[in-house]
Amino acid sequence: MKVSFDLELKDVPGQLLKALEPISGSGGNIISIVHIREELSKRGRVPVKVICEIKNTDALEDILKELEKRDIWVSVDEVKRKKKMTVILIGHVVDTDLRDTIDKINEIRGVMVADLALSMPHPDKESSARMDIEVSGHIIDTVLERLDEIAREKDLVVIKSLEVSD
Amino acid sequence: MRVQIIGFGIIGKGFAAVLKDKRDVLRQRYGLDIKVVSISDITGTVVNENGVDIQKALQVMEKSGRLIDYPGAVEMGGLEAIEEVDADLVLEFTPSNIKTGEPGLSHMLKAMEHGKHVVTSNKGPLVLKFRTLKDTAAKNNVQFKFEATVGGAVPIINLAKENLSCDEIVAIEGILNGTTNYILTRMHKEERPFEMVLKEAQELGIAETDPSYDIDGIDTASKLVILANSIMGINATYQDVKIQGIRKITPEAIELAKDDGYVIKLIGEVKDSHLEVAPRLVPVTHPLNVEGVLNVALLKTDVAGDITIVGKGAGAIETNSAVLSDIISVWRNGNNRNDGKDYP
Ligand SMILES: NC(=O)c1ccc[n+]([C@@H]2O[C@H](COP(=O)([O-])OP(=O)(O)OC[C@H]3O[C@@H](n4cnc5c(N)ncnc54)[C@H](OP(=O)(O)O)[C@@H]3O)[C@@H](O)[C@H]2O)c1
Repeated sequence: MKVSFDLELKDVPGQLLKALEPISGSGGNIISIVHIREELSKRGRVPVKVICEIKNTDALEDILKELEKRDIWVSVDEVKRKKKMTVILIGHVVDTDLRDTIDKINEIRGVMVADLALSMPHPDKESSARMDIEVSGHIIDTVLERLDEIAREKDLVVIKSLEVSD
Repeated sequence: MRVQIIGFGIIGKGFAAVLKDKRDVLRQRYGLDIKVVSISDITGTVVNENGVDIQKALQVMEKSGRLIDYPGAVEMGGLEAIEEVDADLVLEFTPSNIKTGEPGLSHMLKAMEHGKHVVTSNKGPLVLKFRTLKDTAAKNNVQFKFEATVGGAVPIINLAKENLSCDEIVAIEGILNGTTNYILTRMHKEERPFEMVLKEAQELGIAETDPSYDIDGIDTASKLVILANSIMGINATYQDVKIQGIRKITPEAIELAKDDGYVIKLIGEVKDSHLEVAPRLVPVTHPLNVEGVLNVALLKTDVAGDITIVGKGAGAIETNSAVLSDIISVWRNGNNRNDGKDYP
């Protein structure tokens, strides 16, 4: 799992290393470290944001315990993985209320139409729309079902991407 | 090994041509001597227990297109030939019919009941009656092989069953129809409408006069049913496949796909017992992005990971590579090599 730690370190040498040891010690993989020395926290400490990939929640517990022992303030957040799904709709995409189509997709929690491209050859003819949809992992099937419903209702052809990318 | 050919069209004649070239190889490598004891088409049957002269049969077909014109040919149907002529194996090459499965279904069942192995390129009977055919083969202790029914020359079934024999195949995705791949490839490259490209494909003989079998996804769905049954052990029939063809694909849709790094391909997919044929967006860098009339299959397996295989999905000669390898496999599995020689 990918997590982000907001750490608060005492402004003395060696503190960052002291904070990172428990993470690497538990087999975690550090992805990025943002160190802002100029801005001190309310408690007068230096805020540092560490994003890393760790094994599981057990590993997370171990890390938190160890940081506490080392007198390091920490708050933690799971970084939700957003996946990108591309679809193309063919049919009377505009006439069948494109706004409504997008709303019906956005209604699903954790889903957002992030980009839209439209191609209309002629007002009477069928048009095509390409959408990039941001989805958090496990609800992809829900989105696919919703797209099928919309397609049936509005007589559109839905072309889904073969793979959903990170 | 004595074989009977039922159906002497593109594939039947192609088999005769390839056999002529490969006779020596079959003998040397496998100790396999194939003797064609009968050939049937809709007009009649040629029988010769010492081996029909296939060169002559091909010449007759070239001249008149009717096997009955072969000197000595008799007005005997395929079914009767299977009943009457002694043989070890029946090659079933009649047209695919996915409504009734006939005449192929009766040919295959009859052959099995007479203790004859069956090798076929004919999808129809398998799409409708896969279980029945498998069970009948088992009951009669004969082998039933059908590599040529899916992907022409591309050995998808044997790859999964022989080479990945320890793996669990968890999903299959592929382009299993050359005609739709050809049409979509040209639409992508030339930015022209579907109807225009279809018409040209028909003029070139790549698409049939009645193209619906290919472009409406029926052919891909049939092949998917065979793969699901044979490779993944899913008891599916044609009715279980969700199908969308390519008639409605517009140049604008292809353009939008292109702008975002995709091509549109007609993909057959089996996953979690769900069978679906639909146009899909395939990233240009994806292994399934193959062009022209090529076929491709991607097998997702638990141990090996992803395996992709590409090749010619049809053709008189190419498809017979699959037919011959099935015959060789029947021969090897049948322990018919007890002549004391050591074959590789
Ligand atoms: N062509 C390919 O590249 C390809 C690739 C893979 C699989 N296949 C499959 O292989 C099979 C054969 O294809 P094909 O292209 O060779 O078809 P084809 O050219 O139409 O040949 C079919 C043959 O079957 C004969 N036939 C029809 N009904 C018969 C009956 N009741 N008894 C005996 N013979 C009968 C036909 O005789 P008449 O000509 O006298 O009617 C013809 O000789 C089909 O199922 C096809 O789907 C074809």
